[in-house]
Amino acid sequence: MSSSQNRSGSNSESAKAEQIIFEFFAKSLHIILESRTPFMSSRNFSGDQMVCSSSSSSSSSSSVRPRDKWFNLALRECPAALESFDIGRRSSLEPLVVNVVLVASPFATDQIGKRELIRNFSGGWSSDQDEMGCESKNEQIIERWIVQYDNRKVRESATTTSSRRSSSSNSKLQVMYKKATLLLRSLFVMVRLLPAYKIFRELNSSGQIFKFKLVPRVPSIVEPFTRREEAEMQRFAFTPVETLCGRLCLSVLYRSLSDVSCEHSTPMSPTFITDYVGSPLADPLKRFPSLPLSYGSPPLLPFQRRHSWSFDRYKASPPPSVSCSPSPTHSDLHGALVSNPCSRRLPPHPCDIPTGRRKECYVEECQDFSPPCSPSGAIHAVTRGITRTESAPVRIPAPSFQSKQNNVVAPSPNLKLSRHASLKPVRSSGVVESGGALEKFLYGREDFRRNSGVRLSSNSSPRISFSRSSSRSFQDDFDDNDFPCPFDVEDDDITDRSSRPGSYDQRGDIPEPTHEPSGSYPKKSQDAAVGALVSMLKKAPPLRQDVSITEVSWNNNNSNNNKPARGQEAAAASITASGLALASKTTADALEELRSYKEMKNVLLSQSAMDTSSVNTTTT
Amino acid sequence: MNCEVCQLKELEVESFEIREVLRCILHTIVFHRALGLIRPKDIDLELFEITYVQCGEIEVEKKIDEKIEQYISWIEKHPNKKNQICVSFYEVKSKQPSWFTNKIERSYWEQWYINLNVLQPSKSPIGKSHHAKLVMDPGEASEERNSRRTQLEQSLQEVLFQIIKFVNEKKDHVPPINDGVIYCPFEITTPSSSDSTFGMDMIKRMLHSGHPSMLG
Repeated sequence: MSSSQNRSGSNSESAKAEQIIFEFFAKSLHIILESRTPFMSSRNFSGDQMVCSSSSSSSSSSSVRPRDKWFNLALRECPAALESFDIGRRSSLEPLVVNVVLVASPFATDQIGKRELIRNFSGGWSSDQDEMGCESKNEQIIERWIVQYDNRKVRESATTTSSRRSSSSNSKLQVMYKKATLLLRSLFVMVRLLPAYKIFRELNSSGQIFKFKLVPRVPSIVEPFTRREEAEMQRFAFTPVETLCGRLCLSVLYRSLSDVSCEHSTPMSPTFITDYVGSPLADPLKRFPSLPLSYGSPPLLPFQRRHSWSFDRYKASPPPSVSCSPSPTHSDLHGALVSNPCSRRLPPHPCDIPTGRRKECYVEECQDFSPPCSPSGAIHAVTRGITRTESAPVRIPAPSFQSKQNNVVAPSPNLKLSRHASLKPVRSSGVVESGGALEKFLYGREDFRRNSGVRLSSNSSPRISFSRSSSRSFQDDFDDNDFPCPFDVEDDDITDRSSRPGSYDQRGDIPEPTHEPSGSYPKKSQDAAVGALVSMLKKAPPLRQDVSITEVSWNNNNSNNNKPARGQEAAAASITASGLALASKTTADALEELRSYKEMKNVLLSQSAMDTSSVNTTTT
Repeated sequence: MNCEVCQLKELEVESFEIREVLRCILHTIVFHRALGLIRPKDIDLELFEITYVQCGEIEVEKKIDEKIEQYISWIEKHPNKKNQICVSFYEVKSKQPSWFTNKIERSYWEQWYINLNVLQPSKSPIGKSHHAKLVMDPGEASEERNSRRTQLEQSLQEVLFQIIKFVNEKKDHVPPINDGVIYCPFEITTPSSSDSTFGMDMIKRMLHSGHPSMLG
């Protein structure tokens, strides 16, 4: 017999039995939770609701913990299992219920992903689905595990053969323990066979963001299923284990999921991407409060994507614009760009549409078209691409594509083809490659990097699409050593992105002169520096005004009024600070202007001195 | 000791699927009979969306893989046949030593029969001429392949459920857990291990009788 039993610390058989029962509850719960709690990963949306931490559940230590010895089953550490199982409070007579709930993420207002998944469930979504306003209720119990100790039917003289054979209660205990061990073995296999495990696996294995999550719950009050719900579910009851004075029962009610493998991952991917790129637009606002940012302004995207992983963004930020977010697959974009019918169907610019409406609009479109090559996504992308070419420093690698580019970019008047045309010739002329080149053109290198990443993840079969080979093919295009795998971008964003978004922002704000600041700053300049510069430029009054103020103050140093003096300081500061921007206007010019003003001022002053009191000077 | 027997549902497999299918089934069976302290290992099948559990013992893995390879090489020589793989669990009992016999006897307490119907890899439907095959749309062919794959996945899942049910219903015959023994000793019998006319006959007889108690 296992040594663990001997360590139970109690002499009486019933106490031992009780402990076995208790440990059986704990182990069952552990097995269920461990296989239903997706690892807390940065890729999972709502990390705060995850019960298990990835670090603990994914790593299996080699040492044997005392609890592992129970039923000879060493499980991965899952603290949630023990937390939910309130050791002190729970009596073994109380049934233990674990609901495995599929929860749609609260921010997933469009429910495409969920539907795609859920329609595979025999039962469909719960009635809560109708309450679109109450998104937190978008959840469905897909499994209910019930572990209970049934001591109503006391079977004193055990009926089993083995019990008959051995009369001593100790051997009865042994038999009970063995059977419980066997039951837990099959539970362990069972949890992996049920449909929910496929979801669990999907949530864990792929790098995608899902609009739903799997949450195991141990409710204190169990709402019984309606008859209809119960009819929709299948039931599996493990054969109860006879104990000294009762039975250990374990059963599961579960929804069947027909053929998850081929259906659910494919159509969902584009949905995820929607949020993935599009949603976060607020952080730049925090960074540069002085900037009037236009939502849906594409240059901001590089900022957001990194943050789109984080949960708080969804609470904090107004949903910026789904319309500019949908990230089409690479080929989609390419198709949209090359084939004019698509690009002609440009929707109104994101900025023109109120956010909410835009969202709806996109959802509708998504539903209308088959996701993998959804024209809607491509169209939005085109919009974005075009807008971006207006402002972003893009590289045009392929002069040979100019004709196409011109067609595509027709709506954008500010396109500067000539500036970039000299950059890189495209080496290959394959369709995909040219798509890449186009994309490079439209998005600029950095953005292309992102979009290629997006494309990879939105591919119909995620696992395959993550393969590096696909990204490598684009990498070859670039001749860049530092071109990382799409998902490596996350990390180097932190250090690298500073220069880019900064310049984008400036562009969005100050149309013309900003090229110079962005150019004059070293590539590795810090966010702060860029931000400071931007705000300085923003605050800086026009040159003429500055000079006049300065002029006045210089000439009124003797007067009591302090305001002009302050103005002078500010102006001087701003002049020096924005020197870069003003550099084009030479100092000589400025001085000359200044001199002329001086003269004007002198004339005015002399006039006012003659006519009225010196008060007038303040008004000039 | 009574020997419980479980006949598992027949699976139609193509030869390239044999390895995964057998690994999955054999490990699942042995996992249920590995009653010592184990650290289970989840394995995701590559061909099917199924996760099975290994008991994490290297010897078990080796033994199973070895037997599967044996079986596959036998299948290559004897294609398109229905056949069985048997997993037998036993206890070792040493007989009273006498002058000439110091035998260790195996007392079998459980047997699992895995029934496989190995299909020809490029199996053309009967009645279809070569022409008809050429005309066949490749998309259609892949569709057929997919549906067959899906069907096999379901059947395999059913077999796994069957194992779980059997384990649940029959617990009394399982010998008590011994300290330090990770898994109950077992042997895997494949057609190859008795590759003779006699052996084949035996297996065929077992197939028909369903409950071969000769080993029990």
